[in-house]
This record gives sequence, C-alpha cells and structure tokens, in this order.
Amino acid sequence: MKRIDSHQLLEKLQSDTREIILAATYLLQYDPAVLTQSPAPGKWSVAQVIEHLNSYGRYYLPAIQSAIEKNAHAHASFFKPGWLGDYFTRSMLPGKNGQVANKMQSPKDHRPSAAIDSKPAIDEFLLQQQQLLDLLEKARQTSLSKIRIPISLSWFIKLKLGDTFRFLIAHHQRHFLQIKNTLQQVKEGGPEKLKPSFT
Amino acid sequence: MQSAELIHLKKLVDAVHPLKPEEWEAFAAIWQPVQYKRKTMLTAAGEVERHLYFVLEGVQRAFYIDEKHPEATVVFTYPYSFSGIVDSFLTRKPSKYFLETLTASNMLRTSYQQVQQLMDQYHNFERWVRLSTSHALMGVIERQIELTCYSAEEKFKTLLHRSPHVLQLIPHKYLASYLGIDPSTFSKLMASVRL
Repeated sequence: MKRIDSHQLLEKLQSDTREIILAATYLLQYDPAVLTQSPAPGKWSVAQVIEHLNSYGRYYLPAIQSAIEKNAHAHASFFKPGWLGDYFTRSMLPGKNGQVANKMQSPKDHRPSAAIDSKPAIDEFLLQQQQLLDLLEKARQTSLSKIRIPISLSWFIKLKLGDTFRFLIAHHQRHFLQIKNTLQQVKEGGPEKLKPSFT
Repeated sequence: MQSAELIHLKKLVDAVHPLKPEEWEAFAAIWQPVQYKRKTMLTAAGEVERHLYFVLEGVQRAFYIDEKHPEATVVFTYPYSFSGIVDSFLTRKPSKYFLETLTASNMLRTSYQQVQQLMDQYHNFERWVRLSTSHALMGVIERQIELTCYSAEEKFKTLLHRSPHVLQLIPHKYLASYLGIDPSTFSKLMASVRL
C-alpha cells in the first residue's frame, strides 16, 4: 500500500467535509415535506439518510475523540492505509462516473425510522461535521497509523485512525449522492415547486 | 522560502506601515507555501478561521448562504493580497460564511497563533495589524455604501473602473452576485460596454 503524506490527507478530508457542510446547508432551504418524502416504496427520505449518517457519527466521533485524547503516539508525517480500511473506503466511494456503483444493505442498528424530522436531523449533522473538522485538526498532532478505532459493527475489528476518517467521509459522500438523486425523484413526483439550490 | 514570493508580501506590508528589519524578518518567517486545486473549500461556516493567506496565484471567493437566502458572494481575493476569513481570524468567533478557491491557487499561509505571538512581541507589528484592519474596514464601508446607494449600472461601472481584470478572471455569475444584481442585468451591462 502506498504511503500518503499525513497533512495532505487531512487537508483533503477537511476540504471534503466542508463541501458536505455546504451541501447540508443547502438542504435547509428545502421544504421539510420534501425532505421527509420517500422517493419510492421502501426507499429512504433525505431526512432518513441524514439520520443514518448521524447514527454513525454518534458512535465514531466520541470513539475518535477519546482515542486522540488518550493518544501517546508521536506525530507521524506519513500514513499507510491498511488493506481492510482501504477496501472499506473504496467500496464506499462513488465510481468514476460519479454514481454509486454497488448497492449495500445497511446494518439494522443504522436503519432510521420513517418518522424522522428533517430540521433537527440536519442541525445535528452540521454539529457533527464541525466536530469532525475539529478532530481532523487535532489528528495533525498524532499518528494516523498507530491509533486504531474499533468499527461500529464489531469491537474486535479495528481500523487505523487515517482509514476511519477516510471511510467515514467517503460514507458521507456516498450518501450525499443518494440525497441528490432522492431530491430529483421527489421533485419529479412531488407537487412542490423548488428553487434549484444545488448549483 | 523563495525570496521572490516574499518581495510581493513585503511590498504590501510596506504600503500600509513599514516594519523594522528585525520585525519584517520575524514576520517573513511565519509563512509556509500551500497549493490548492480549484474549488477547494478552505473554510466552512461554523469554523473559527485558523489561517491567514497571502495569495500568489489564483482566485478565491467568500460566500454566504443560510436556510432562507440564496448564495451570495461576499468578497474575492487574488494576487497579491491577503485571503482568509479575516473577521473570524481576528475575533476567534465562528465564521458566518464559506471560503473556496475558484481556480488552482498558490498561496502562503500562516496561523493565528503565529500572528498573535508576533503582536505580543512587537508593538510596531501590532500597529501594522491595526492599520491593515483599518484599511480593510474602509474598503468594507465603501462597498457597503455602494451596495446600498448605487444603481446596478453604477455598481457595474465602479467595478469596471476599479478592477477591470476581474472580468477575465471570475465567472460573471459570481460577479453579479457580488454586486447584488441579477445575472441577466449583468449580461446586458456587459454587452453595453465595449471592452
């Protein structure tokens, strides 16, 4: 696996997270009725997608925070992705055509209820993204390879901190693509006239 | 650091308030070169600005958006000037708006801690910061007056007169948003002047 410059990786992940913050801010401009509308039977509304992301944040952000606070490892200039972390990240990321390539089934702990309200979900998501930016900044003082975070599904599988960040942010990107598609579907079927917010 | 880059910085510094050689050397030493691709988000709303930039190449744009209002361009930065969300940088309060690169950007970057340290160390440097901020404030109020009082045509002509180069540098939809005029009005105004 190729070595990556730690600072460059963190800068990229921060910039990606800021893009997500902007996209989530745009969502606040939509009518809540649109954001809570399912695009097709059995498919998630935008609010459900956001709640799904929040459920991961509630696990990962405190886990990363405490790992960084406890950290006794010196700063390392380079990061080498682990094979599993790299595989997870790649499987999350959209394909070259900008579309989600592989469908996945979400684990049952991360399946949101259909009764989710959009505004509190987006507000929580935005707060989580600020925490994430803060953790990405704090991670500059540590080793992205030596700190390890247990994945949410299994405490005995641990990913390197660098891979946890990559995986988590790729997961956000994947679902924001889903949100874009969901909004298109809902707008076509729905009665609301929406301002074109995604530019 | 490459001295050619620092010459541009020194020119800008001296134009406001000259620093003594020792102060300048200390100031020159806190900058690091950084490169960004186009459309890189440098700061998001809600973050406290950590950095001050000095632009060597490229154009950056600060813009505001909230749940009720469409995106509006606040300011552009380009060589050789400072960039960053300066109000958040100085007050240490969360930024209300975003900063992104519009084109690939080559900049120098320093941190609040480093600037703060120099302000503590050199009274004359703090004076330079105060005078720079005063100039920036003057610019902001001038723009405030133009936005409030001027017609679309007057705003367009003022921009054309003050910074004609931005017409080539910056997509016109952003310039229209910066002036607070409709993009179609901007196109008509563009067509009405022979460049």
